[in-house]
Amino acid sequence: MGLTSANSGGSEGMQLCIFDLRRGQQEGQELDKILFFFPADLPFSNQLSVIGLSEGLITFTRIFSPEAACEVIEAERHSHVFYEAEPDIWMVMVVEKSKEAEAIWRVGALRAVLKEIHSLFMMFHGSVREMLEKEPSGGQIRAHLYPFVMDYLSACQNRSPLDYCCWDFLVGKKIQLPSFRDCLKECGTVQMLTVGREAAIEVQSLARVLESGAGATTPCYSLILFQDLLVSTTLSPDDTINLFAYAVQRLTPRALSSGVSSWSYLRRGNTPDLVAGLTFATVSVSEQLHHLHAPSPSQDNSNHVKRPLQHNRWSKEKDGFLVTDIWGREMGSLIPATPTIWLRQTGERMYLCAYQYKSLTLILLVPLSSILNGEQGVSLVKKQVLENASLKTLKVEEKLSKGWGGENAYHVSGYRYLLIDDDRNVSRASPPVKVTTLAKESLLAMSKLREEVDLEKSRAKWDSADHDKDLEICIRAKNNAWVVARTTRGKELYMVLEKADETLLYASDAIERFSNRVPLLASSRAVALGGLPIRVIVNEILSRQIPSIAIM
Amino acid sequence: MSSSDSSSSSSVDDPNPNPKPLDNQFESLNLEQESESTIIQNDDGEGQQDQESSLNGSLNVNRNNHEQDDRIDGGHVTSVLWRRTNSEVEVDGPSSPSSSGYAGERGSSGASEDDEIHEVANHGVIDGVFDSQAAWLPGKRHVDEDDASISWRKRKKHFFILSHSGKPIYSRYGDEHKLAGFSATLQAIISFVENGYMDELGDRIKLVRAGKHQVVFLVKGPIYLVCISCTEEPYESLRGQLELIYGQMILILTKAVNRCFEKNPKFDMTPLLGGTDVVFSSLIHSFSWNPATFLHAYTCLPLAYGTRQAAGAILQDVADSGVLFAILMCKHKVVSLVGAQKASLHPDDMLLLSNFIMSSESFRTSESFSPICLPRYNPVAFLYAYVHYLDVDTYLMLLTTSSDAFYHLKDCRIRIETVLLKSNVLSEVQRSMLDGGMHVEDLPGDLLPRSGSASHLGQHQQPTDSPGRFREPFVGIGGPAGLWHFIYRSIYLDQYVSSEFSAPINSPRQQKRLYRAYQKLYASMHDKGNGPHKTQFRRDENYVLLCWVTPDFELYTAFDPLADKGLAIKTCNRVCQWVKDVENEIFLLGASPFSW
Repeated sequence: MGLTSANSGGSEGMQLCIFDLRRGQQEGQELDKILFFFPADLPFSNQLSVIGLSEGLITFTRIFSPEAACEVIEAERHSHVFYEAEPDIWMVMVVEKSKEAEAIWRVGALRAVLKEIHSLFMMFHGSVREMLEKEPSGGQIRAHLYPFVMDYLSACQNRSPLDYCCWDFLVGKKIQLPSFRDCLKECGTVQMLTVGREAAIEVQSLARVLESGAGATTPCYSLILFQDLLVSTTLSPDDTINLFAYAVQRLTPRALSSGVSSWSYLRRGNTPDLVAGLTFATVSVSEQLHHLHAPSPSQDNSNHVKRPLQHNRWSKEKDGFLVTDIWGREMGSLIPATPTIWLRQTGERMYLCAYQYKSLTLILLVPLSSILNGEQGVSLVKKQVLENASLKTLKVEEKLSKGWGGENAYHVSGYRYLLIDDDRNVSRASPPVKVTTLAKESLLAMSKLREEVDLEKSRAKWDSADHDKDLEICIRAKNNAWVVARTTRGKELYMVLEKADETLLYASDAIERFSNRVPLLASSRAVALGGLPIRVIVNEILSRQIPSIAIM
Repeated sequence: MSSSDSSSSSSVDDPNPNPKPLDNQFESLNLEQESESTIIQNDDGEGQQDQESSLNGSLNVNRNNHEQDDRIDGGHVTSVLWRRTNSEVEVDGPSSPSSSGYAGERGSSGASEDDEIHEVANHGVIDGVFDSQAAWLPGKRHVDEDDASISWRKRKKHFFILSHSGKPIYSRYGDEHKLAGFSATLQAIISFVENGYMDELGDRIKLVRAGKHQVVFLVKGPIYLVCISCTEEPYESLRGQLELIYGQMILILTKAVNRCFEKNPKFDMTPLLGGTDVVFSSLIHSFSWNPATFLHAYTCLPLAYGTRQAAGAILQDVADSGVLFAILMCKHKVVSLVGAQKASLHPDDMLLLSNFIMSSESFRTSESFSPICLPRYNPVAFLYAYVHYLDVDTYLMLLTTSSDAFYHLKDCRIRIETVLLKSNVLSEVQRSMLDGGMHVEDLPGDLLPRSGSASHLGQHQQPTDSPGRFREPFVGIGGPAGLWHFIYRSIYLDQYVSSEFSAPINSPRQQKRLYRAYQKLYASMHDKGNGPHKTQFRRDENYVLLCWVTPDFELYTAFDPLADKGLAIKTCNRVCQWVKDVENEIFLLGASPFSW
């Protein structure tokens, strides 16, 4: 197994560890706590130091705050971001701060990365605790976590301007984490395509055909994407977010094509002269260390570990279905095994079938339990999909392409914005190419403002009485840009206006105009269909999504 | 004779003494300290030959050979002890002047400290307290608690001072001695991060966040300060409060305490601060009502221009005769202030000094002469403060570098008091206390011509002399356009003016909430990385807050949450105009500009 990706990641500036507080409580067994550590070549004493400090502060803060232990440590040179992924399973990311290197972080954005890593891991492998219970030595979980997180961190570099999600962390030698420059993005949310009512109806009927075509007795689920944008889902919100993130990474046409270039880049990046050989672990060293961590008794786990985040392992077949050999091959055949995932909400295990036609990606999830004869049954489902849905797919693709405004479809001139619907985890933002035109000062001010709003939100969460805090903050920064945050009933709007007039009233007007004219967030509708409750999210052009707070 | 004497006498000519000679004195201490520790005449009879008793030893030396001893910094540290271990002596007698700034005097044995502190608390001294918060009692409470008590863990805001070896020095709640274990934990966290758990460079922990709680750390040489709070105050504010607590400690001891830690890392500082709980608790209390604690500016008692001029003139007279600073204050508000040539006083130093004086009961009962250190002025040297209350709220402070200036300052005070009485300044001060400051209800209309001198701060109501007048709640609903309150800070003057609270900000709780909102706004505007911002509009369920920062002034205003943006902006402009119209009355003008 080649942990090639490990090499392209620099250890400098970032550490990430996952540990279990229930393990290694006896002296001399502390190493047992560590389930994952990046960089793996950091001496164990240092790894234990980081985990020891984290553990110490978790215990310490519980003295005063039993309901919520340590979330972040800010030191002069580092930030430690905590996330309790599962009870007593902690993920801690340590990032170095540096003004020159633009390493200015928003804690909330970093925590969202940890959350996404864990959610995706759950989707493919189930919970960490479960795996530990199955195999208490910890070898199995380590063997799974290591390649998984490494693959995540080394996600492809080439991103289209359409990729709103903060995903690519490895650029060159450095891990690119969401910094202040990403303040107008929101990880862990879904970006949606705005469609007209007519197209929405077509999409709905396509989803219906897909799910019924599977012919299963238990409910199937579907996810439809156009380019990198979600068009429809029948999954629960959590599962939608996870699968959407995965699709945008590995399945959409852009992900498939960019994978190629990123692969070649990484290959080149692995040559010793490009990677500062002294500071980074070589493959063998990191693997050795990794195996020290995971003394797997008889079986070599790593051979059986699936790496769903590995690059360039998906390709499009002639019939339009996407295939990968990540899940191995059928016994005695060359047919790749169909991928499976766990649904968060129902705990069901599902086959994942992805079909692509031009810009349209359809993902169908079929319960394992409903298909008795394995791969044979899956290919039957695929055949049915082709028969029943091809025509509809064609039509929908055509319709959506026609209405598609291109990469800058959601650009609103004069505004740089991010809109988040917390209730449904949907966000929309100015295209990244437009955001890059903003001055550094404006972005820093916005990042800071978001941090402030994050704090207000988390406080409101603990006060729980007024969960939805109405808040409006307009700041005129030193560089004369207006930096605006507005939260209303679970919706958040962040905006930077650089060329606005200097009066507050003008800025307020600009915000009002934006709220009035921009097709904002999607609305969700529950549609009951053939006895099956299917939740379809359809985008509509809404005239006024963010209600202005009453002004006299 | 001694170098100190020469430096203090030279200070008559040079009002801004060079700290260097004092520094040199510190050097000399280390050489002499050991020999001193052999001359132990311990007051408390415990006779421990540790650092502490050596200081006590030199303390006795100090008492016996007062004049010679001044040149060593032990003299400075010990003189603190000295005035603490001595009971108050009326200073009118011919003996050498005594001073005592402490209510809870207890010597260094500390056997019955808790009782004494309770006693102080029970006196119910109410000073330095916002009128509306008169219920607050100074002094330490909940001494019976420790980190095992649920009640202790649930306190909203803890403050700790500890030494770098983990010895507790001060805790807002609970008995320091019982908190030794907890204190060691805090020390362990700080030093673990400091000692390079990540790399050889080491790091410095600033903040830990957990749910609603924040743990804020501040390291000042061998002194560690920690705040644990769930009050929603921003990190920057809490850190600023720790800085002030440290400053308060320095004001009492000077930075010379660092030397004690250099000599003996396990040095126990608690006896040095014995009886000062009231000082810290009153400072901590001010963190929830006194805007000076985050604005880093001071405020003046509103007075007619001529009245303040008269007070300033006599203070200036005195300053010319070798007084470094002459300050006349009424509660936490400045009546007048004069610094000797070139000497300038930082607003934080004024805050700490007035807190020290107002929180210590004994300053009220007798004229006092006390060594104090102004941390922003010179953190390594003691000055000497002559303090005398002219009436129940008004007190005069005369600061000098000379330790034997007591009689001279006493003469000065008598002169000043005579002039102030003659020119009715004191009665004007009392009158102003009753009249209060600016009321938002009195905000002049848009185009009305204003006459600043016609009435007190433009009050349109018939002025009444009834003392009860300003205690009764206004039936009003604040000022025009939903204006509830404002703070105006003049950057050039280092002064601020805050409007009086009026409906609906009536209860202490509402006032505290508004105070915290301002604090948050201030931190948001003065972001270290890319601030200060220019304007901020903030609307939540409680207020509309508008902030405006220019090179000349900062304006913080609070409106009804339903206030109209446009009208609010107009109102802000009117407030600025109003402040300019009455600036002669509300600010001390012509004071030496501050040099930082």
